Formats: sequence, C-alpha cells, structure tokens
Amino acid sequence: MSVPANPKAMAPHRPGRTRTAPPMRPDGFPSAPRYRTYLLFDATGLTYLLAGFAVLAVAWSLGSGPEAWARALETLRSPIAIAFHVLVLVSAIFVGVRFFRLFPKAQPARIGPAKPPPRPVIHAMLYVAWAGITLALVAVLGGFLP
Amino acid sequence: MSDSKKVRFVLTRFDPDQDQVPKTQEYEIPVRPDWKILDALNYIKDEVDPTLSHRWSCRMAVCGSCGMMVNGEPRLTCSTPLSDYGDVVEIAPLANFPVVRDLVVELEGFMDKFKAVKPWILRAKEKAVEEGTHRQTPDELHAFKQFSMCINCMLCYAACPVVMNSPEFLGPAAIALGHRYNMDSRDEGSRERNEVFRGEGTVFECSYANECTEVCPKGVDPAAAVNQAKLNAVVDWATSFVVPRGGGK
Repeated sequence: MSVPANPKAMAPHRPGRTRTAPPMRPDGFPSAPRYRTYLLFDATGLTYLLAGFAVLAVAWSLGSGPEAWARALETLRSPIAIAFHVLVLVSAIFVGVRFFRLFPKAQPARIGPAKPPPRPVIHAMLYVAWAGITLALVAVLGGFLP
Repeated sequence: MSDSKKVRFVLTRFDPDQDQVPKTQEYEIPVRPDWKILDALNYIKDEVDPTLSHRWSCRMAVCGSCGMMVNGEPRLTCSTPLSDYGDVVEIAPLANFPVVRDLVVELEGFMDKFKAVKPWILRAKEKAVEEGTHRQTPDELHAFKQFSMCINCMLCYAACPVVMNSPEFLGPAAIALGHRYNMDSRDEGSRERNEVFRGEGTVFECSYANECTEVCPKGVDPAAAVNQAKLNAVVDWATSFVVPRGGGK
C-alpha cells in the first residue's frame, strides 16, 4: 500500500482548475530492495556519529588521568566495543565502494582534450589509491616504519 | 482473442468530482503475448470501460506521455512488455505527483521547475543570421549530448526519494536539462542557471540515490548531471569573486 508523499510534492505554483488527489510515494518505499542500498548508505551516518562520540570520550579520558585512560583502553578491548568498531569499518568500506562506483560520473576525469580512460580503469585507479593510502596510514600509525 | 491468456489489472481510479481519495478497480481481460502495458490499457478503455483516463501519444517511447507506476516501478507503458509481468498487474499514476484523474498526473508543477532552469540557449548578444551558424566540434557536442536525450517522461521524479520529501527540489530532469545547456558551447547563460541551482530547490538537496538514472527509459544519466551541476555551481560561485562580471560562460 502506498504512503502519502509530501502533499506539496510536484504541486504547481498556482493550483489548477480541477481538484487533485495528493501525491503518493512509490510503492514499497522505503522497504523495496531498490532503495535498500541508498537507505543503508544514509544509515551509516549514525555509526559515524556514535564513533565520533566514542573518540571524544576516549580523548576526554586522556585528559582525566592515568586511571581514566586505562579504563577507556579496557572498555575499547570489550567485545561490544570491538563489534562496534567492526561495524564502523564495514560502514566505511560500504560508503567507499558506493562512492567509487558513483564518483567517476559525478566528476568525469578529463584533462584538456585527452579522452578519459574507460570507467573500469578509473575504478581500478581509485581502489589502488585507496589501498595505498590505507597501507601507508597503517604503516605510519602502527609504527611499522623504521 | 477468446482462447488467449487472461490477466487481471488492478488500476488506480480517481474522479475529482466524486472521490475524496483514489481507489482501485480490477479488470480481467484477454491479452496477446506481444502486447505492451499500454496496449492493455487501451483495450480496457476501448472495450471494457470508456471512463478510464490515461495519457499516451506516440507509442514509441519518444513523447514521454505514458509514464505510470507498473507494479510499483516507474515505467513507460508503451515500451514495457506485458510478458514481463505475471497474471496480476497493478498500474497507478506516477508517484510523487498530484493526480488529476485515474492514471493522469498534474504536470504543471514539473513545468514550473522546467522553466526555472531556462532550458534554451542564452546568448549575451545574438549573432546575425548572415554571420553564419554556431559551430561545434564533436567533443563539444559529446559534452552535453546524452543529457539532451531526455524526453521529459518524469519517471525520474517518480523514483526520486528527495522529490517525495522536498517540494522545492528542482528534480532530476529539470537540473539535467539546465546542465545540458550549461555544457553547450553555444550557450552563455551558465551563470544565470547556476544562480538558480544554488537558490531554492538547490542541486545540493540531491543525496545521490541514483534512482533517477536507474529508471530512465532513454539511458540518460540525470544523477551524473545533478552531481556535475553541484561542482559547477560551486566553481561558478567561487570564480564570481575573482571575475565578478561577465566572467562566467
């Protein structure tokens, strides 16, 4: 069963001569499979919000003394905290994959008169850059560099 | 067609003189395997119930008149094979549009948005006829050609989750058309259009669901146009501080 859309959706600036029935949303929105990826993408914002609060809480504990810092580290080692960070990682990968799928057409790669490379090549370049930057960050932040 | 297969159609009906809200009405009719959805609607109108109202014209996916929701999906009914569906087909007017009658939606809201983007070539100074035509290279044509393939069927508006919630949003087809003229080497009105894009119903309301592109029956990519228009609108805004007057194309 359809759900009403915003009653002013696609309404003309001046009402027409005949009475109209209010606009309806597409059937199955938001549960239809076609909208699922998009809604999941929107929902990842919640995980980033929670992750932001978690980072603030850990930073706050750093300024509250060695005991508070130790407690924060202990909390981060709990199964719930690990599960949450896995969820954040999955969200980030999901958003990255979606972004790389859609980005090339939002800003076509073109420098001067040269033709852009085929889309699979652009996708491959994006993933290589992503993997390279991730590895570099892991190397620097993980202390793997000599 | 006495021995042909029968299909049950569940159609949305709305009579503005009698009904407060739309209702559904069922018709079971014999169909042919080569029919499109529109053929079935025309059969119902011609042979079963002449009070049914639906909009159509060219029957070859060019005029963009016959867009409807077919089993919940926006489709051009003249190019959608009936054989893609089972024994029950639900047909409703395009989602996100006010309904004038039965399967006919109100177009004026779309036309208002359409006109807002000035979908014609704007020139600072018109060229005299004797000076010849405005010439374009194949690359210049390629920059906007796909966006000019839009037939204004409005399926993209029926699929867009932003349109259903934000009445002021210009929407995919209108923005794609405005962007098409902004990318046209003969046009000099991009600064005017970019002001529209940055104003009410801004391109930045688009959250890139990409549904407009998924449902486009002509292979146009309105989502690409909207998101390219975002960057162009920002660049135009930034350059307006450096080159305040006449700097834009």
